[in-house]
Amino acid sequence: MTSDVPEAAKPRRAPRPRREITTAYVVTRIAVLAVTAAILVYAVPPLVAARAWIALAVLVAVTAAIVCLYLTRRLIPAKYLVPGTVLLIAFQLFPILYTVSTAFTNFGDGHRGDKQSAVTAIETGSVRQAPGSPEYTLTAALRGDELVFLLVDPETRRVQTGSGEGLAPLEGARLGVTGKVLAAPGLTVLTAPQAAARGAEIAALAVPTAGGLIKANGLSRAVEGRAALDYDPACDCVRGDGDTWTADEARGYFLNARGEHLAQGWQVGVGLDNFARVLTNPTISGYFAGVFGWNVVFALASVVTTFGLGMGVALALHHPRMRGTRFYRIALILPYAMPSFAMLLVWRDLFNRDFGLVNQSLGLTVDWMGEPVTARFAVILVNLWLGFPYMFLVTTGALQAIPRELTEAASIDGASPWHAFRRVTLPLLLVALTPLLISSFAFNFNNFNAIQLTSEGGPFPAENPQVGATDLLITYTFRLAFGTGGAQFGFAAAISVFIFAIVALISVVTFRRTRRQEEVYA
Amino acid sequence: MRNRTLGTAALATLTLAVTACGGGSPAPSAAPTGSATAPTAAPADKGGGQLVIWADPNRVKALKPFADQFGAENGVTVEVKEISKDNQQTFLTASQQGSGPDVMVGAHDWIGNLVQNGAIDPVNLTEQQKAAFPEIALKAVTFDGQVYAAPYAVENIALIRNTELAPDAPATLEDMVAKGKELKEAGKVKEILCLPVAQKGDAFHVYPIFAAGGGSLFGTTPAGDPDPKKVLLGSAESVKAFGRLKELGEKGDGALKTSITNENYVATFAGGRCAFLVSGPWAMGDVKKGGISYDITPVPSFKDGKPATPFVGVQSFFVAAKGRNKTLAQEFVANYVTNKDVAKALYDADPRPPALTAALQEVQAADADAGKFMDAGKDGFPMPAIPEMQAVWEPFGIAEAAVVKGGDAAKAAEAAQKTIDGSLKN
Amino acid sequence: MRLALRHVFVLVVCAFALFPIVFVVSAAINPLGTLASTDLLPNGASLANFADLFGSDVHPFGRWFLNSVFIALTASFAGLLLSMSAAYAFSRMRFRGRRVGLLALLLIQMFPQFLAIVTIFIIFTEVTELYPAFGFDTAWGLILLYLGGALGVNTWLMKGFLDTVPRELDEAATVDGATHAQIFWRVIMPLVTPILAVTAMLAFIGTMSEFIMASVFLRDPGSKTLAVGMYGMIAGDQRNANFGMFAAATLLTAIPTVGAFLWLQRYIVSGLTSGAVKG
Repeated sequence: MTSDVPEAAKPRRAPRPRREITTAYVVTRIAVLAVTAAILVYAVPPLVAARAWIALAVLVAVTAAIVCLYLTRRLIPAKYLVPGTVLLIAFQLFPILYTVSTAFTNFGDGHRGDKQSAVTAIETGSVRQAPGSPEYTLTAALRGDELVFLLVDPETRRVQTGSGEGLAPLEGARLGVTGKVLAAPGLTVLTAPQAAARGAEIAALAVPTAGGLIKANGLSRAVEGRAALDYDPACDCVRGDGDTWTADEARGYFLNARGEHLAQGWQVGVGLDNFARVLTNPTISGYFAGVFGWNVVFALASVVTTFGLGMGVALALHHPRMRGTRFYRIALILPYAMPSFAMLLVWRDLFNRDFGLVNQSLGLTVDWMGEPVTARFAVILVNLWLGFPYMFLVTTGALQAIPRELTEAASIDGASPWHAFRRVTLPLLLVALTPLLISSFAFNFNNFNAIQLTSEGGPFPAENPQVGATDLLITYTFRLAFGTGGAQFGFAAAISVFIFAIVALISVVTFRRTRRQEEVYA
Repeated sequence: MRNRTLGTAALATLTLAVTACGGGSPAPSAAPTGSATAPTAAPADKGGGQLVIWADPNRVKALKPFADQFGAENGVTVEVKEISKDNQQTFLTASQQGSGPDVMVGAHDWIGNLVQNGAIDPVNLTEQQKAAFPEIALKAVTFDGQVYAAPYAVENIALIRNTELAPDAPATLEDMVAKGKELKEAGKVKEILCLPVAQKGDAFHVYPIFAAGGGSLFGTTPAGDPDPKKVLLGSAESVKAFGRLKELGEKGDGALKTSITNENYVATFAGGRCAFLVSGPWAMGDVKKGGISYDITPVPSFKDGKPATPFVGVQSFFVAAKGRNKTLAQEFVANYVTNKDVAKALYDADPRPPALTAALQEVQAADADAGKFMDAGKDGFPMPAIPEMQAVWEPFGIAEAAVVKGGDAAKAAEAAQKTIDGSLKN
Repeated sequence: MRLALRHVFVLVVCAFALFPIVFVVSAAINPLGTLASTDLLPNGASLANFADLFGSDVHPFGRWFLNSVFIALTASFAGLLLSMSAAYAFSRMRFRGRRVGLLALLLIQMFPQFLAIVTIFIIFTEVTELYPAFGFDTAWGLILLYLGGALGVNTWLMKGFLDTVPRELDEAATVDGATHAQIFWRVIMPLVTPILAVTAMLAFIGTMSEFIMASVFLRDPGSKTLAVGMYGMIAGDQRNANFGMFAAATLLTAIPTVGAFLWLQRYIVSGLTSGAVKG
């Protein structure tokens, strides 16, 4: 951040700039150090408190590297690139890499956590109240420093203390109307807030009995329960209810002899299975060509129509004697200013056969979203509406950057306006906008919302509920990964990798052709 | 459980960027460490006295006073947060990473999926507490022999009719369609029946009619639960039921139409342009706003049909298995929200019939609708909570939409069966 | 070209742009506000929906509004700085890995994003614990998250524009002894105001309507943005009940955007015409 230093006013000496120690130089270096120090002061203590030494080391290393970068005179491009890149890596690249890594696992509903959590869940879920045992009223108390349960049988009003060692009778306790213990000799009875503060200890205390364990159930009740299922590390299996389920590390389930599994599973690596599933799934392979074709048409049509219309109005307004441009511009960006999810829903209802405004105002009875051809037309139209203001804004900006002299020169040379546009304006616009057109293509290729919130992929033929006429690759494959049988993140990640490969391939090929352009105009 | 290593990995990737341009002048290694200046920015010592509840936007306000009261009684702070999108998945993901709530509010049919992910703990209700709920509510929150939630509202769909247009409750579906047609021909209404179908079908709303036609989704296990191994959508009975839907559809009577959707069906009825509405308690706000006189009766069956059983949904409180304060969460769910006042306050915020019998009786005294909905649902079928149900909704809906548009019933049923079989195999 | 024709063309496009918005306006002033009203002129117009919106204690609309404007302004301004710097480096400097870097920026945008939610939880669960000020339910955390995406498309947009600015300008300044920072701030930045304005506009609008990330990030009713809060209004079976309010909110959402546009418009259209050819 240069302050107003008369450096530029200094006498020229050499063709290559010689930089000297100026005030600006000093100020910026001090600023860098100050910011770094502030970050460290803020960021270090919590890491120390959490004993996150690795994170701390990383933090210090990164900060040092950044300081180093801004203190040195070299590595100028990096100075401009690092701030954005750091954030990009943390919040875009890391999520992508993590997602890709889940493609090699069975991560999804039923397989979210590790095996330990699954075992805990199986055991906790199988705890049944011991038959005939009382539903104790619970009061938490302290015996010295030790937490104990005071358990009152609501029928007999007999009081017992429960600790890690087991149950022991307690005499002389005074009971309140709710059946809770108010006072007991030699013990400190905890009030509700005191007990609440010790929630974790209360949850952890288990009082052994002949038939099982007494555990707290909230702050005021305790029950004697017994886990019907038990994990045995020796055989790596779960036993109980007269059956045995053995861990299957390939599937992340406990299986019994009949091949049935317990509901709770865990996440395991499955190698390339998800990728193989994408390739061999009959629904995916059977309809791939058709869906892919429509997907390309949809993405291309979206780019061409939005760019065409956006550029058209931008050009129409780009005229020195055009009046009312302020009003026009506002009207034209309004579609972009509305929350898109809301407007997609509105459009879907506008296209309703019997209730929609489109049919009503045109006097038609077309089932827009019910017939393949009209549904495809409708989703492209909706996408045009949503997207053209973006192109309009961008082209308006780009047009300003084209020196009017150039177009004027062309028209003096006797070129027709169309010719001037083709020869001068359009090529210059494309220099600035080609990459945007490519990324717009990529965006629309995967434009999940535009389909999901309007046609939902439909209409579907009666004989096939899996692939509809407006389905994109991403909507019909994600329906397989999420719509049926819970969320299968691993499978979805594998699908994403394939779709990414397709889009990236198309884009890179197109991108390579822009190199020439860039070198010509840069 | 919390994944510290991954968080660290995220930070670690930051270094990659920088190491790429290593070199330059030697660094005056990150100099000042303001040792005493920074009061250790307390890494939030939660766990002790905080209970976090997640609910959808409509219940947050109703829960707040009770949450505060509970907090005051137990000397803890209670935070009610609102989740508005993909609540179940957000809860699962957040729980898994350790930033989920202690108590979650949601529908009972989540239970199967929540259990297989180890996300919730059983809720231990006493015999006395259990007796305070109707049987169907308890059955709905019981999964694999274990109670997994405290129910607070029971809801199901019923037939709501405009008593000015149709004074008598139709005895059969045939009567209803005939009456609707008559009114439509007389120009009094625009639609015969307001039941949402939409382009992708609506399995929830059409289910009573499907059941009346003899169709069914799953076989039953010996214990009486839906058996995920026996999907019956393609069975001969179900094909016949799809055939009945086709007869009611666009190429037949015109009572079921894909143009009637979730967005317009209640409004059309409330505007008096339709004499019959199939919907639930959530529609009553709009119906009342429309200012028409109405009555609520069970959805009728076909003349020779099976009972038109609706799905029953039970709104519930869950105890998160990975919450930070499970003792308090258990206390809140098992002993606090099962109390009548909480049930009534939730009813006032969003009028769905309370699950507690005592609360329902009080509510009924002021609002007869609640009782009528309960009656319509008393033989209902709790929405299957098994995870396999997730594979059924969409294919079922698409098959429904296909036959309503005039498609072949046998083909649609067979395709749905095939799709479901295919996805359950995986 | 004939002006009248231009007007006719633009008017037709405006009609297309406004068609569904007219419907939203009609729903917003319809006291029975539903998504289904087929009549454009509702039976009785009122501002009741707007009043409900600001009177509602379930939906603290005013707070959402301020949150959104704050987050959108901060994120778009900071994002603009980040992407402008990067674009300057990519356009004006030649270094190893430049093409690869550009390509990587383009490709990263193409990965389907919504599986990223799982990772967002992984990262921010940790952050919330260590640095609550940047954790869940905070505007700053969300802004940080948005800045991760700042380099994406905006860098490309600005680099494209910078490529059309003649290099002679900064070469001349280099010869004059200016440092790279001086060229960046004093020569390049003033030249590209229209582009900055357009990009700022796009970033602002993008942040205002983003809701997939925000909806998992913001759970306190008071911390929500407009998009998240409004989605909650029509989520699930509440769609009908709140649609009138929702439509009213949709219209009000457009106000900051239109305001920002009015403010930036003069930079967009006055910009560069004088500057570009001087060098």
